[in-house]
Amino acid sequence: MEVLYLLIPMSAVLVLLILGIFGWAVHRGQFEDLEREGLRILEPEEEGVDGSQRAADQIGKKSP
Amino acid sequence: MSPPTAVHASSAIELLDDPVALRRHTRQVAGADGKPLSESSLRISGMHCAACAGVIESALTGVEGVTAAGVSAASERARVCWDPQRTRMSSIVRAVQQAGYGAVPDVAVHAREQRRQQERQALWRLFVAAFCAMQVMMLATPSYVSGPGELSPDMSRLLNWGGWVLSWPVLIFACGPFFEAAWRSITQRSIGMEVPVSLGILVTFVASSGATFDPGGPFGFEVYFDSLTMFVSFLLGARWLELRARHRAVQALEDTVLGMPESAARVDDTGREQRVPVEHLRVGDTVRVLMGESVPADGVLLDDAAELSEALLTGESTPLAKRAGDPLVAGSVNVGAPMHMRVERVGDDTRMASIVALMREALTQRPAAARLADRWAKPFLWAVLVLAAVAGMAWAVIEPSRAVWVVVSVLIVTCPCALSLAAPAAMLAAAGRLAREGVLLQRLDALEALARVTTVYLDKTGTVTDEHLQVADVHMHAGVEADRSAPLNLVMSARALASWSRHPLARAVAASGQLAAGTSTSMSEEGTWTSVHEEPGQGLEARSHDGGLWRLGSAAWVGGVGSQSADQARLWFGSAGHALLGWSFAEALRADARATVNAMHLQGLKAVLLSGDQAPRVEAIARQLGVDGWCAGLTPQGKLDEVATAQGRGCCVAMVGDGVNDAPVLARADVSFAMGQGAVMARSQADFVVLSGRLDAVVQAHQLARRCMRIVKQNTWWALGYNVAAVPLALAGMLPPWAAGLGMACSSLWVVANALRLSAGQSVPDVRLRLQLARGGA
Repeated sequence: MEVLYLLIPMSAVLVLLILGIFGWAVHRGQFEDLEREGLRILEPEEEGVDGSQRAADQIGKKSP
Repeated sequence: MSPPTAVHASSAIELLDDPVALRRHTRQVAGADGKPLSESSLRISGMHCAACAGVIESALTGVEGVTAAGVSAASERARVCWDPQRTRMSSIVRAVQQAGYGAVPDVAVHAREQRRQQERQALWRLFVAAFCAMQVMMLATPSYVSGPGELSPDMSRLLNWGGWVLSWPVLIFACGPFFEAAWRSITQRSIGMEVPVSLGILVTFVASSGATFDPGGPFGFEVYFDSLTMFVSFLLGARWLELRARHRAVQALEDTVLGMPESAARVDDTGREQRVPVEHLRVGDTVRVLMGESVPADGVLLDDAAELSEALLTGESTPLAKRAGDPLVAGSVNVGAPMHMRVERVGDDTRMASIVALMREALTQRPAAARLADRWAKPFLWAVLVLAAVAGMAWAVIEPSRAVWVVVSVLIVTCPCALSLAAPAAMLAAAGRLAREGVLLQRLDALEALARVTTVYLDKTGTVTDEHLQVADVHMHAGVEADRSAPLNLVMSARALASWSRHPLARAVAASGQLAAGTSTSMSEEGTWTSVHEEPGQGLEARSHDGGLWRLGSAAWVGGVGSQSADQARLWFGSAGHALLGWSFAEALRADARATVNAMHLQGLKAVLLSGDQAPRVEAIARQLGVDGWCAGLTPQGKLDEVATAQGRGCCVAMVGDGVNDAPVLARADVSFAMGQGAVMARSQADFVVLSGRLDAVVQAHQLARRCMRIVKQNTWWALGYNVAAVPLALAGMLPPWAAGLGMACSSLWVVANALRLSAGQSVPDVRLRLQLARGGA
């Protein structure tokens, strides 16, 4: 049972990490438009996946 | 208000490029390569589903000069990044319109951004509290389930330590709002609900920390991190729900205000005409108002004569003739020839400004029930603090090791959260529900009064009747009736000609053809008119397929009208000098008016029709509707007296009105409804604004209000009962803090869940009523 002395502090650290990640996600607006993202896969692709750097940029920008 | 013509609409879009109009919904940002870009916010209308967002995004990015676009389907907003040197706002809006959607500038973007930040912060706080509570609970479980001696002291201290670490984020971050509010009320020398809550949280934490690090010390060996974190997360959950309901209501209010910038045609000294936003108008400017346009500001008429409809302001549909020098009221619509006017008043009297002011005011005041709770809260909270202190001292004598816990239990168990949530939670849920159905609640108190209403007074014009006119009767000239086939052909060709004009009367004639099934579907040669010319204020003139000159318009314009029917009909058709057909007009009943009156009867409400109109017309409509009573020929004062008399008899009166002449009555009635198309003045007086324009919303609101008050009563009794039962237990030391926290959180949650029943479920649970409404709507 000695491993608990390691696991409990680790879980505490993990929780803090998860809180940080969640906070980042909330403030990026990840939870504000839940329906749209599910349908995005059905939209026609405008440029190839291996296309220019610019296409990648725009996809990033589309979900502010 | 009549919809703008094509020309007018396109010039409204051009106005979007005006720097003043632009600044309200656009900000400057730096692009990737350092070039200045504009970022604008638009409100999109016409979206059916989330997939539409993609279509609009590709339409936006297809515009030359747009660097990025994002559309949110949930909030129906678009954010566009564009290069002001390569494109203009008007092209962007046009691109959206060509894709089949509507776009208007989102001038409320700053307020919305603020709300979004608030919502995100609240969600994060809730998550921190709830997630930590889960973890703490996990660490606390062993101490609940283990038998005596099964858990080694070392392990127990380790688990306690884990709970202590995980309680810190809750205490520091999630509890921030409670501590802040408590500190504020202490510095202002008042006492709020947050004071005992914060005190309870702090005492629990300090005592549990003491127990964690010094199990043999004065705080005993029991820790209560789990009750602490759970208690906080339930409280935050309730607050988050409340915040969202409030924001939804404000959002609904804002959406009704947004629109294209209003414009006016200003004429300068040289006679040149320029279209400017209404905000640019100055006192003394000369403005040209086209037919169908509304008067942009208060002023005086410069031309000799003009015809204006003040239907929006007074609710009376008959146009008024104005002479040179007569005052014109902003918002009235020019139904005659284009006219010139001089601006005399500008500023904050614009429609936009008054609604925005209204918006700020709305929903910020607290309902009377909540105010009552606030008044009692203060002595109650003092009593709680005294009680806790006395209990602590008593237990310090009887059994010192339990003194701290009794104090904490008393503080937590008496927290009047549930009590203070009882009324607002239910009322906000009802307000949100109403907003989704197109009814804005401007005063939460009104729900309470609405539940007590026994009599509903309906204004006639614009409330039970539509704003549009309907053809009541067609008068044939004596000569026409002889020829059998002629009348039908004549009527059809007149309708075809009428469709060229946007005059209200002509539109009513044109629309009457669409209603008559089958007869006018095939466009025969009678429908082809050439060289159509409209003489403003007079009528239309056109050549038929055989070259004859025909006229549609006033009696004087067409000519040759027999005197016997001249006073009934208002629009004539015939070849020049020989009027053949005449139409008289009547107001159209709203489609759901009859069903609504029936539904009112089913709910035990009395419906009474009030009107300033003449008795025969009012009586006819009253008979059609089946109302319990009617009063005709009333002045505003007369309407007021009528309502006051009813109130004197002990009736609780609801008034459903529309125009400015209703404003005093709306204010006098216990509850008032304004139909959404009505004037702004009426809106500011009314408790409910029916934006959907559906009359049956009144009945639905009434039913919802009754349910709401029932739920408020349930909630209040529950919360009171809980406190009354739990305080003696806590004082007797029989309620450990975790149970107190659980009980408190559960009672708050129960109250909120009970309130949310209002926003879910069916608004009209009565099956008979639903059937009635469905039948009436079909």
